Amino acid sequence: MKKIFSIALLLIATTSFSQHFKTYDWKENPTLHELSEEENAESSIAILKKNIVEFKQSVITNDINVYETTHNIIRVNDDIGIAKHNQVYISMRNVKKIKSIKARTISKEGKITNLDENNIKQIENVEEYGDFQIFAIEGAENGSEIEVLYTVEKEFSPFGSETLQFDYPIKRSEMVFITNNLTGNIKTYNTDQTFDRTYLEEKLVEELVLNDIPATVEEDYATSEANKVYVAYQCFGNPDLTQESLWNSTIGNIANGYFPKSIEKSAISEVENVILKDQKNDISIYTKAALLENYIKSNFTVVENRNEQLNDIEYILKNKTASEYSIVKAYAQFLEAMEIEYQIVITANRFEHKLDPEFYSPSALREFMIYLPEIKQYISPTRIDYRLSEAPSNILGNNGIFINKDVEYYFAKITQYDPNYSNIKRVMDISFSDDFDKVIIDENQEYSGHWGIQNRAVMTFFTGQDKEDFKDQLTGSGIEDKNILNFEVGNTTMNQTEYNLPYIVKSVTESSALLEEAGDSYIFQLGKVIGVQSELYQEKERVHPIEMQYPNQYNYTITVDIPKGYTLEGLESLEINKRMEVDGKLLCKWLSEYEIKQNKLVITIEESYYINEFPKEHYESFRQVINAASDFNKAAILFSVE
Amino acid sequence: MKKIVVLFLCISHFVIAQNPVDFDIEDFYYLKRSQSLKVTLNNDKFTIINEVYEKAKYNTANKLFFANDLIHFDSFTDINDIEAFTENASSKIKVDHFETKDSFGGSVFFSDQQSINFVFPAVKKGAKTTLRYKENIKDPHFLGSFRFGSFVPTKEAVYTVEVPKNVALGFKTFNLEKANVQFEKKETKRTTIYTWKANNIGDFRKEDKSLSILKYLPHVIVYIKNYKTKGVEKPVLNDVKDLYSWYVTLKNQVDKSNLEEVFNITENLVKDLKSDKEKAKAIFNWVQDNITYVAFEDGLGGFIPRGAASVCNKRYGDCKDMANILFEMLNHVGIEAHHTWIGTRDRPYSYYEVPTPIVDNHMITTVFIDDEIIFLDATDSYVPFGMSSSFTQSKEALIGISDEEFKIVKVPIQEKEKNTSLIETTITLEESTIKASEKRTMKGYEMVDFIYDAKYKKDDTSYEEYLNNKYQIGNNKTAYTKIDLGDLSSKNDSHSISYDIEINNYAKKIGSKIYLNLNLEKPLSTATIQADKQRFGKKIDHKYIRNYKTTFVIPEGYALKTIPKNIANELDLYGYSFTFEKKENKLIVNKIIYMNTLALENEQFEDYNIFIKSLIKAYKKSIVLEKI
Repeated sequence: MKKIFSIALLLIATTSFSQHFKTYDWKENPTLHELSEEENAESSIAILKKNIVEFKQSVITNDINVYETTHNIIRVNDDIGIAKHNQVYISMRNVKKIKSIKARTISKEGKITNLDENNIKQIENVEEYGDFQIFAIEGAENGSEIEVLYTVEKEFSPFGSETLQFDYPIKRSEMVFITNNLTGNIKTYNTDQTFDRTYLEEKLVEELVLNDIPATVEEDYATSEANKVYVAYQCFGNPDLTQESLWNSTIGNIANGYFPKSIEKSAISEVENVILKDQKNDISIYTKAALLENYIKSNFTVVENRNEQLNDIEYILKNKTASEYSIVKAYAQFLEAMEIEYQIVITANRFEHKLDPEFYSPSALREFMIYLPEIKQYISPTRIDYRLSEAPSNILGNNGIFINKDVEYYFAKITQYDPNYSNIKRVMDISFSDDFDKVIIDENQEYSGHWGIQNRAVMTFFTGQDKEDFKDQLTGSGIEDKNILNFEVGNTTMNQTEYNLPYIVKSVTESSALLEEAGDSYIFQLGKVIGVQSELYQEKERVHPIEMQYPNQYNYTITVDIPKGYTLEGLESLEINKRMEVDGKLLCKWLSEYEIKQNKLVITIEESYYINEFPKEHYESFRQVINAASDFNKAAILFSVE
Repeated sequence: MKKIVVLFLCISHFVIAQNPVDFDIEDFYYLKRSQSLKVTLNNDKFTIINEVYEKAKYNTANKLFFANDLIHFDSFTDINDIEAFTENASSKIKVDHFETKDSFGGSVFFSDQQSINFVFPAVKKGAKTTLRYKENIKDPHFLGSFRFGSFVPTKEAVYTVEVPKNVALGFKTFNLEKANVQFEKKETKRTTIYTWKANNIGDFRKEDKSLSILKYLPHVIVYIKNYKTKGVEKPVLNDVKDLYSWYVTLKNQVDKSNLEEVFNITENLVKDLKSDKEKAKAIFNWVQDNITYVAFEDGLGGFIPRGAASVCNKRYGDCKDMANILFEMLNHVGIEAHHTWIGTRDRPYSYYEVPTPIVDNHMITTVFIDDEIIFLDATDSYVPFGMSSSFTQSKEALIGISDEEFKIVKVPIQEKEKNTSLIETTITLEESTIKASEKRTMKGYEMVDFIYDAKYKKDDTSYEEYLNNKYQIGNNKTAYTKIDLGDLSSKNDSHSISYDIEINNYAKKIGSKIYLNLNLEKPLSTATIQADKQRFGKKIDHKYIRNYKTTFVIPEGYALKTIPKNIANELDLYGYSFTFEKKENKLIVNKIIYMNTLALENEQFEDYNIFIKSLIKAYKKSIVLEKI
């Protein structure tokens, strides 16, 4: 856990200086910056990215104003670099006033092209992002520098954050945090560096300077987005506020609608007359909860818009329409009516943000889940593709705030209760056509846990070509001329009520391409029957800690007919044994073995990932386990005439 | 010139009709979709109102997300009198919240497209939703069209167009036989009413890598030909001539001032060049390299190119801006260049059939040099001078010669000999490991595609991973070294890359024999078409020839025991040939695969699959080596 870095900026009152942005400006006569050969080889590189956030209380009205200044200088070295930086979007969310926007380019030859302010366009109500001012950079060409400087005045909000790492390298990143004697805190994430207190024009401010921030790196099995360098800050007029009191008040507000004191009549009636109609009295809590979730997901729509009425429970129950936040109120009504104990969990998608219990930040509260402690299962209220389950992969492992009906709360890491929840069982029987031209694969598969839920959703929501593509995956992708002769699926409907019912796939496929002729012998690309497997490359040092979707396991039994008159060679490529052990504990493994039983070759494979977070230092052994599957995918055996 | 096709509600997914339509198995479908277009004319001023009606049914609760609905519009239309509600067995609830949003994202930087978004309340299994609104069409050039199919099946579709007797309506129907559309023309006292009706229409959903859905989807395009006022006939869109005259009025609004800087640059570019072709090439390459594509769609501004001086100064522009700066630069040095309107390949219309702006969505420049017509499209930053952009091949180009004169010329399809890949490989074998050096030389669209991919699709992957995924040589276990992707930013007629590869356990060594398949790369091996599932014809981006020249060095101590027979299957539309020749201690394999068409229609699938099958069979042949 990161050490909290928090300073109360209680400073001696100084005379009121004007806001810093008023004197901050770009260079009057800019010239191109010197860059090394390596830096010039980048498509683009930021020479400077600077953010100034200033809070200032008016002496007359006591209102607190917030000013945010952004100043970027970026060298673009080729068309990819230009395309990345020549379109600027300034979010107008909570912006009261634009103080200034300017932009210019300095060409290789030193020519300066200033942005024509008339070319700034407004766009409104864009999806969930709100309004924007947008403009295209004028005069950008290979080798030029793009400079953008703007300041906006925002509505007062005591909280904010700033991302400092992007998909291009940054030579120098600066952030200045000015509170003008108001109480404030600021904290850095995903970097060891912290803010320094320095004097700026006789004001004591918090300043952070980071040199040479590398470009973000996308890696498999990583939460790259959440691992970016960023800062979060707080600034409020009241010096008595603590992190705890901030959490308390937010949770108090939230809990209001989520633990209703009274239940709407319509909810009670729907429970009696619809949800539990024809059900026995002694049905399990699991079944009850599943029936409720199935009902809501078959009758309610979750939407994102500015309709204020979506917060009103009566409106929600009548129109069966709610927002991502207010749908939880509908669940609460029904859960209360059905007397199912529940907790509200507030967290974030771990691939986007890791929730920090020690630093209050409302923007970190992004996902609302419902936890049922009696059965240790989660309802994902906004996800139509999910049903009652272990924590879905996007929140598994993140910190969550768990709130119970007495509005008591605690922070806890979201974990999986049943370690064997998700697995795939495959039984394949492989035979050959008489002329050794075709391979016939008869396969039975069972997908449980998250695998089962996902398959159900994909096969329900996808249509046409997308669905065909998914069927291809379910029957082994990458088999060049695969022909699906038979395809049946079972336990397919989304609305299940039985715990962890597996999704069933039965198929018969044939392929000619899996067999190659070599004189009078045949090479059988046996490994390909398990489908294309992901391959982890490592040319550069691993950057991110390893995080998988969720713990999961695969068990395969592959039985191959050996036609009369043939012997088998090259079986050693089927035996692969890779494992990762840390402190004597087995964390993941691949084991494939074979034996010959009469005229059959029987291969068993066990691939297991017992946890979903692995130490980065053991990346190499993790990679070997993952790649064992793609190694097996290349295994080929030879049938030769006796 | 990414122009907006007004009235073409952008329904994003479509699929083809399967008869008969079984509505019971659908999660969601339309009970009725209709549009009723009414044109009136008063004092030479048109009023055009299109009433849209859609009634849908939720057969299951699987796709309640369709309750999120929206109406697209832009600055050429107003939307009025919206009414939307949901009906369930015992209730009818109206939509009470509509909000307008600007369009954003995708390939267009700024657009005047907007949408009115809303949510049908209380949808569940059995719910029926109704939407009704009026579109006010402000410009008589954009009457629009009606599609009988949608992304889900439709029980009943009706399109009605009513025009006063003094207005001549033109229309063109497409694929109506696929939906058994009935047509009726009725005269009233003052108006003529055209009605098209169809029942039980299957779904139409876009397919990847397929020919345009518009080649299959039943639809009608309508337009105003002319109108009579006080006995005088006034043209609107009688024919291409009228369309062109209108385009000329727009084009003539282009700002032609302050071109000194543009001309200076141009003169500098060509000062040491002699022939017109060299000059045109230098100018074209400069625009490709220096003007970044940024798309704007902004009312009629979406049709009028920005002045060349502004584009030059800002260093960005969309297709029409690039076309116009090319026009100015080329003409300045005495090369005859013309503004040219064109539709991309996904827009399968002809100017002769429908003389309306629906035909085109793009703008390029055409130059005439010594009787040769050259199409220049600088929005494609990597296409070599002399070749059109791949997505305009075979399309009609409307070339504006003068304010009065135009020409329609088809953009030629680039022959396969112009788009080539030559892959030269030398393979040696050590134990069961293959080592190879490979050089790929690409020309034409083969080169353009490679450069686009290498620049924009590589993302954060290493070169090794990128090449593995792209070519799948051997298997994806192939190790790459000495990777040289060449200079991706220089403009040449060909581009070469090279690398060494190593594949462990590739050869099968058994006893005294080694089995080895020399087809390290198997193009088209996954190209079998699922004829029963593929509803539209297959689109092929360009014609090509790929030639694999492989030299296998026979390892010492071994002799070649078996080599495959030479084999060829050379058809008009596609083909291959494999030859094997032993020269001293080497086996030379020459493999040629070519594609000689831009489209595979449904009735050609069977032949094509037989071809692919025979190709896969050819790939299956290994060589056998034996210890001496």
